[in-house]
Amino acid sequence: MKSAPTLSSAFLKPAGESLPQPLLALRKERGKALVDMPLPTRKTENWKYSSRHLKLSDELANSLPAGGATTDAAAGGYRIVIRNGVVDASTSVLPQVEGLSVQRFADLTDEDAAELARSLDSTLDTRATQMARLNSARFEDGLLIRLKPDTVVDQPLFVIHEVTATAAGSAFPRIYVDAGRHSGMTLVEEFLSSGDESAMVDAVTEFTLADGARITGVRLVAEGQNIQHIGATGVRQLRSSRFESHCVGFGGPLRRHDLRVRLEGEGAECKLNGVVVTQDKQHYDNHTCIDHMVPNCNSEETYRNIAADESHAVFNGRIHIHKDAQKSNANMNNKNLLLSTGAEIDTKPELEIYADDVKCAHGATIGQLDDTSLFYLVSRGIARREASVLLTMAFINELVAQIPVEQVRNSANERLNQFFDDAFREA
Amino acid sequence: MLSIKNLHASVEGKEILKGINLEIKAGEVHAIMGPNGSGKSTLSQVLAGNEAFEVTEGEVTLNGQNLLELETEDRALEGIFLAFQYPVEIPGVSNLQFLRTAVNAARQHQGQAEMNAAEFMKLAKEVSKQVDLDPAFLKRGVNEGFSGGEKKRNEIMQALLLQPKLAILDETDSGLDIDALKVVSDGVNALRAEDRAILMVTHYQRLLDYIVPDYVHVLAGGRIIKSGGRELALELEERGYGWLGIKDEEAAAN
Ligand SMILES: Nc1ncnc2c1ncn2[C@@H]1O[C@H](COP(=O)(O)OP(=O)(O)O)[C@@H](O)[C@H]1O
Ligand SMILES: [Mg+2]
Repeated sequence: MKSAPTLSSAFLKPAGESLPQPLLALRKERGKALVDMPLPTRKTENWKYSSRHLKLSDELANSLPAGGATTDAAAGGYRIVIRNGVVDASTSVLPQVEGLSVQRFADLTDEDAAELARSLDSTLDTRATQMARLNSARFEDGLLIRLKPDTVVDQPLFVIHEVTATAAGSAFPRIYVDAGRHSGMTLVEEFLSSGDESAMVDAVTEFTLADGARITGVRLVAEGQNIQHIGATGVRQLRSSRFESHCVGFGGPLRRHDLRVRLEGEGAECKLNGVVVTQDKQHYDNHTCIDHMVPNCNSEETYRNIAADESHAVFNGRIHIHKDAQKSNANMNNKNLLLSTGAEIDTKPELEIYADDVKCAHGATIGQLDDTSLFYLVSRGIARREASVLLTMAFINELVAQIPVEQVRNSANERLNQFFDDAFREA
Repeated sequence: MLSIKNLHASVEGKEILKGINLEIKAGEVHAIMGPNGSGKSTLSQVLAGNEAFEVTEGEVTLNGQNLLELETEDRALEGIFLAFQYPVEIPGVSNLQFLRTAVNAARQHQGQAEMNAAEFMKLAKEVSKQVDLDPAFLKRGVNEGFSGGEKKRNEIMQALLLQPKLAILDETDSGLDIDALKVVSDGVNALRAEDRAILMVTHYQRLLDYIVPDYVHVLAGGRIIKSGGRELALELEERGYGWLGIKDEEAAAN
């Protein structure tokens, strides 16, 4: 019998020795825990649709070298480029805002680094995010973003995660956001790439929100077709804080995002929006998990997948209402649109409810473009192709419109138009 | 303008239209009346090109052109317009965007420049007033949450914007109160023109008090069983469908 595949030891040799000692130590410790880690297979429940798309050849174990061209990113005032997992200071415009501190991991004092080392991974369920653990063993740099209490940042901070795949290899970008009481900001993360070699991005972003903090995370995943993308986002929310997430993802050979939100303080609320479009033979897998740990929290989740050609989209939405979380309000809605008979979408709401006084609604549907609506539009002289685009766009309009950052909305719309051009090309 | 010869059509293998013959000339207004289930909507949908219905026999020409060979959108561009009995709600597509796309498709087909958003907004506001629809409706999703009457007015608004050669109105009067009926009728009367024909499908004669037809046809069991002038509608009003040998609605459908 063939033994289960394990992570090649080549992946456990991190580069970037300039990190402060506590972080180097953390990396080493995390690496040790991954020796002989079984790789996800078809039988691994949370990777059952995606394991066959995960291709970890040894050459991907290399760290991508620094440097390379800057791709076009939609960004505004505050902008930081993380190229191949390392902050590029020369093309970054660091915000100078009272109460906001943005630091590279490499620049942290040993004391701050020690504190960060204690916090990293604390928002993640590392059993559920196997691949994110590799980030903790491999990150070479990172951003620590700290907001002092009552600091509200006036404009979004854009982080451009760029991969320059001029050689095969991987990048391990890492961000940790520590939002003080009643602070607020919007963090935009854009994932882009250049170059044609095969590469992998394993990105982890964590947020901790103190009482009353209001944080918005916007995520645009649009790397090239040679890039495997594995991402994990972890969020911990204290009392009366609010977290909003807006994800827009375009398919690739492998796209995976695990989003986990823990509502740990009463009155906390989160809103998670997601739009995914896939075409050709692309694959996209979103796993979300919301933990209601205490009473009186709200969560609202809306995800839409559109799959064309022979592509495959996956949505797995878990809501866990813990025993003490009375008066929880959880709303999850996932709608899916198949644009061709060869496309596949798998959706699975997972509800675990251990409290008795809760409001929990969920709905998941998979459908095709509605013939009656299509006929109505074309009967007005609108070309079938254009009518199809209108109806497909109608499926996600609302979510795109809710993205609170204009540059990202525009960029998403442009990319969506390109997607429609391809998806509805002459059959 | 429109010539229908021996038209047969089925849906899901069941024959609904069993040999329709009808000639409509430019400038004329024809009314088709008939009990529920007699095939009025089927005829309308077949003319507009709904592929759910299969034409099994017969021919239809529009100004000499074989209509049945044209795609739905090309029929519209050639001047066919159907006001739906049940207009479709399409959340997420704004009424304004829908109308502008349709108008620009027509303009492009006619070799005219497309209208930009501002130009179109101006036109749309004018026409919405003509059918007594609050311009706020332009911002809503297509027919989304519109009342029955608002949907019908939106259909007439589209006809006024698209200026078709042949407007087919499928029970545009049903579900309207008397004021709305007046507004809709005014809209339809505004469409009347030398070079345009109107085919009105209606269950009741009351619409014909406002829009006076040149010809009235009775459709029953998938065939036109009687044709006449305006007075035929009045006779139907007085005597019901019974005197024509149509027993009831169920019977008419079979
Ligand atoms: N999509 C459909 N599927 C099955 N039967 C249909 C469909 N549309 C219409 N019919 C049937 O065709 C007959 C004629 O319907 P219709 O044309 O709507 O009549 P009318 O408009 O005169 O009331 C009815 O018996 C109706 O049930
Ligand atoms: Mg009808």
